Amino acid sequence: MTALLDSAPLGVAVRIAGIDWSAMSEDEGRRLREFGLMEGVEITPLHRGSIFSRDPLALAVGRMRVIIRARQAAMISVESPVSEPAES
Amino acid sequence: MTGAVPTIALVGNPNAGKSSLFNALTGARQKIANYPGVTVERKAGHASFADGRPISLIDLPGTYSLIPASPDEAVTRDVILGRQEGERQPDALIVVLDAANLDNHLCFALELIALGLPTVVALNMLDLAERDGLTLDPARLSKELGVPVVPTVAVRKRGMAELLGAVDEALRGAKPAAPIAQVPTPSDAALHSRARAISRAATLSETPVRRWTARVDAVVLHPVVGFLILLALMFVMFQAVYAWAGPPADALEAGVGVLQSWVVENIPQNFLRDLVVEGLLAGVGAVVVFLPQILILFLFILLLEASGYMTRAAFLMDGLMAKVGLSGRGFIPLLSSFACAVPGIMATRAIPDEKDRLTTILIAPLMTCSARLPVYALIIAAFIPNRGVGGTGIGLQGLVLFGLYLAGIVGALIVAFALRRTVAKGNAAGFMMEMPRYQMPQWRDVALGLWQRAWIFLRRAGTIIAMTTVVLWLLLTFPKAPPGESQVDYSVGGRIASGLEVVVKPIGFNHDIALALIPAMAAREVAVSAMATANAIDAGDDEEAMAETLGERLQGKWSLATALAFLAWFVFAPQCISTIAITRRETNGWKWPMFMVGYLFLLAYAAAGITYWTAVAFGLG
Ligand SMILES: Nc1nc2c(ncn2[C@@H]2O[C@H](COP(=O)(O)OP(=O)(O)OP(=O)(O)O)[C@@H](O)[C@H]2O)c(=O)[nH]1
Ligand SMILES: [Mg+2]
Repeated sequence: MTALLDSAPLGVAVRIAGIDWSAMSEDEGRRLREFGLMEGVEITPLHRGSIFSRDPLALAVGRMRVIIRARQAAMISVESPVSEPAES
Repeated sequence: MTGAVPTIALVGNPNAGKSSLFNALTGARQKIANYPGVTVERKAGHASFADGRPISLIDLPGTYSLIPASPDEAVTRDVILGRQEGERQPDALIVVLDAANLDNHLCFALELIALGLPTVVALNMLDLAERDGLTLDPARLSKELGVPVVPTVAVRKRGMAELLGAVDEALRGAKPAAPIAQVPTPSDAALHSRARAISRAATLSETPVRRWTARVDAVVLHPVVGFLILLALMFVMFQAVYAWAGPPADALEAGVGVLQSWVVENIPQNFLRDLVVEGLLAGVGAVVVFLPQILILFLFILLLEASGYMTRAAFLMDGLMAKVGLSGRGFIPLLSSFACAVPGIMATRAIPDEKDRLTTILIAPLMTCSARLPVYALIIAAFIPNRGVGGTGIGLQGLVLFGLYLAGIVGALIVAFALRRTVAKGNAAGFMMEMPRYQMPQWRDVALGLWQRAWIFLRRAGTIIAMTTVVLWLLLTFPKAPPGESQVDYSVGGRIASGLEVVVKPIGFNHDIALALIPAMAAREVAVSAMATANAIDAGDDEEAMAETLGERLQGKWSLATALAFLAWFVFAPQCISTIAITRRETNGWKWPMFMVGYLFLLAYAAAGITYWTAVAFGLG
């Protein structure tokens, strides 16, 4: 089962199932990949938003913490890392 | 290459410790702070190999790959690839890695190694890797990468000799670099897999440790609690500026007073004595007494920068910044602008989006820089009673100061909102940033930062502020007034001020203020020294008048409405000459600095006017 990263629950590790590269600018896509955000990578959403809005989103990618905007998170679909081999 | 001094560039991901290594190797004092994007220009420095042969080291902005996303990253690419004008490609590279984040940092390292230049890897921040429960094998890493790897801890200067030795070795063995057809870039998935594989091979053990930092973040980045903490931090900062500065400021003030009386008593009255007493001691002295307050403010900013809190603040502010068309990234340069708008505007080079960057540059002068602190502090001390608010321990003066800073921030956000819909229209700015780990601030870096700031402030006082004040003193001393008339009003300077007074009278400004406005363009602190000089001239040798502080004199002459209007003016105060110059440089032309001066003047005039008229309506005139 896949969901979008911008609504994924916090503190739960997920695996990136797909990223809609065509929906974002080239620079944006490149920086995401430079952060290590690409298909198959395991990430954990950690913190979301402030009193002002639901933006931004802080993620753990390996040992790194990165901040992205919800708009970009909405282009990333994620799945549970354990459910994959069992089903599908 | 014999004869020429070899050039070695430090390169790597943001916040890997390049500048720390650069400082450790060259003895330079580059700015170091715990967030990505601190270094925004190329900086060169000298060092030498163990046998004394000189080398030239280059510190560069951090970047994730050789494809730049922002102007600072473009500098790194140009230097590394030898495209920088008038400069050859570096002879060797020191690739700086964060040992605790090899998975990611190795990607850029692999790209750099593939360039074929003599390369040495500095495996930096080994202490932090240990803190995180990692044990690494530098020899294995070296084998995998095919280049020497030297473990370093830049902040403890550990591994420096070994690092230089390895560079020396690499240079000796250097063959002419074979141009590589296909250099992989860190946005390739294949490169990431390779980086991860190497990282796994070089990691001997990995014990999961309790991450206290995760628990800190749960509180600090909490949507509500985190924001309250941010507000509380700012609030404490401004309270401290008053609460802690008292004794040292009083001591400085007393010192200036003692000097003044000594000169008056021991030197017969002549032109030079008046210049020293009225111009230099009264004028410049009135500015120097604010040194303690400025240092307290800087101490807070330095601690926030060194601890890693800055990116957390950017995270919390991003939602608000997004509403006016900016990003949390812009919050960091804006917070640096509390110190001075000039480094703040430089720091915007790390902002990727061009319009986002332009807007941030244009609103940076609205952040209350430390040069405005003396003006605020003088007026607040004179007109706002020094007592607690409603019986609490919160000082009213600190609260007013906090309010003035907030007014600047709110003003900046409103201006940004307007600019992003008109002259700086563009796509919604993005916000992608790495969040560094928390660090204990390095006391040495903090002390050095404070010392540098104190020195810059005193140098300003001794040069531009002193010069402007002396010129003003001359303008106020001639021609000599006939007995019975005010010297200040009669002088050239006084008459110019009277002319200006006509324009600023509607917003409640008096002759004192009119006199201070123009020289304050040179440096904002001059507003204080100008008024102090004018008062000293008026006081003449009258012992009693001289004993009065500037604040006490103003209290007697100004209405509260005028004082408030003056404060409001300085919230939006048209900026100093150095801000105009740096804006011209960073925006490549006169268009934007002119625009900035124009809109700031209008805002300042309107804000002072509205404040004055409102205050008068409430009977404070
Ligand atoms: N514990 C530890 N901290 C380090 C070490 N080297 C650097 N730091 C800290 O890491 C942070 C970043 O250091 P900088 O030298 O500013 O990093 P940089 O690579 O120049 O960063 P940019 O200029 O932003 O690319 C600072 O807080 C340093 O004090 C190290 O070996 N150990
Ligand atoms: Mg640096």
